Amino acid sequence: MSKIFDNISLYFSFLKASLKEMLIYRLDCIVGMISQIVTQLVEIIFIWIVFQNTDNLAGWNFMQILLLYGVTLISIGISDFCFDALYDIGPKYIRNGEFDKILLRPINPLISIIGSSKEFTALGYFGLGLFLTITMLIKLSIPITMILILKILFFSIVGASIIGAINVIFSIASFWTYRSNEVIWSFYRVYTFAQYPLDIYNKFIKFLITAILPFAFVAYYPTMNYLGMNSNMIYIAPMIMIILWVIAIKVWNFALSKYRSTGT
Amino acid sequence: MLKSMLALGKMQFNQYNIYKSNFYLFTLNRIVEIVVYIFVWQAIYNQTGNAGGYTIAQMTTYYILVFTLSSLSCWGVNEDMAHSIRNGNINKELLNPLSYFQYYFGVNIGEMGFALVVGIATFIICSLFWSITLPVSFINFLLFIILILLGIPITFFFTMIVGTVGFYSSSIWGMQILRKSIISIFSGLIAPITLFPIWFQNIANILPFKELIYTPINIWLGQITINEIVFIIMKQVLWIIILYLFAKLFFNHAVKKVTINGG
Repeated sequence: MSKIFDNISLYFSFLKASLKEMLIYRLDCIVGMISQIVTQLVEIIFIWIVFQNTDNLAGWNFMQILLLYGVTLISIGISDFCFDALYDIGPKYIRNGEFDKILLRPINPLISIIGSSKEFTALGYFGLGLFLTITMLIKLSIPITMILILKILFFSIVGASIIGAINVIFSIASFWTYRSNEVIWSFYRVYTFAQYPLDIYNKFIKFLITAILPFAFVAYYPTMNYLGMNSNMIYIAPMIMIILWVIAIKVWNFALSKYRSTGT
Repeated sequence: MLKSMLALGKMQFNQYNIYKSNFYLFTLNRIVEIVVYIFVWQAIYNQTGNAGGYTIAQMTTYYILVFTLSSLSCWGVNEDMAHSIRNGNINKELLNPLSYFQYYFGVNIGEMGFALVVGIATFIICSLFWSITLPVSFINFLLFIILILLGIPITFFFTMIVGTVGFYSSSIWGMQILRKSIISIFSGLIAPITLFPIWFQNIANILPFKELIYTPINIWLGQITINEIVFIIMKQVLWIIILYLFAKLFFNHAVKKVTINGG
């Protein structure tokens, strides 16, 4: 157990180092944030158009959907911020032999890699998500109590960590293909399914995002709870997170044992 | 000249094709993106009996064709340009017997070739899951192809304008995302242009981006008359000339200022 905490505190010291590095490229960072917000605005325009054509989507109104969207963005922001370096395993570490150096360090290579994340532009997602969440909670006249704030905080982190675990699982593809980014990206994109009420999908997709790639627990079930729709599914989320991380670490260690250097 | 441009294109195409997994993953990506749009519109149709003025079969076809064409209008040589500016390769590219524009148009051909292959694969796989409306007539299909071909120089010159900004700023990828966002909104990628507010439609009617996605698909679906198409083709040719001149002037101005960080 203490080993896990050691690893987590190690992760934070890595984070501090990359924060300092990012501050050097302040302009790049700001441009990155703005462009992330712009891409999300494009999606929000789509939601707006949807509600020009209907007044509810499977029982959810415009503001409720935007709340769901905001809550998702908070988790996405946190997970992009923390786990961005997983995209680099193939192109940046394995292909050019950098990974061999990391293996020589006396610390867990997974921590070494995700610790080097510096996607500070993800703060753009986080900021937009927070803004949408707060505005929609006020507009929907949901009382913002201390309990709600703590709930949103806790389940956003759980959500981010669910996404992180899924990304870790798919990042192992880079041990064979030497390019993890597209593999992770393809599966990661499935999170967009859970930005809309599950009732619009057929059985296959519902099953996919609750059981196989459980993105529905990132924001969909939590948001239902905040809205007072169905309050129980949310409590399964932490369990899902733990199960996913156990699988992720097992799978990662298995992939690591099969690792063969490219020799460069 | 044409021969060397095609050779460049082939090189770029092969670079993508080295990793066969690339092809499957890009295609999978497209399909993942389509799913949300189609299910949302199906839900709207089931509730209101109307899918933005289209039948549900037409709307489904609309989005499948959107993601068949989206790589053609959203991909571009920006990253290659930015990369060569940063590592000094641009020196060699400027000294090429091919002009800079010709060189990158060649690279662009390869890029578009790969985008086309991914697009066609996306179309075929989607047609297994959803029923697709076929083009209303053979002439409409031909006009659909002509408009897509006219779109290629438009996106290319637009990309070159964005790429030239790379001479002034070292972080090009923000601009590139902006370029993609502009195209996504004004081309009808996220939703048919007719569903936007009137003032927005007026802007979109002037800009050339609508003809990259919205117009060809509506020709496929038989929503646009032949007379209108003649006018649209003339508009596109005019835009190609405008964008070409602007890209060229901007580039010629910028290239004088190029500072290479040691190569």
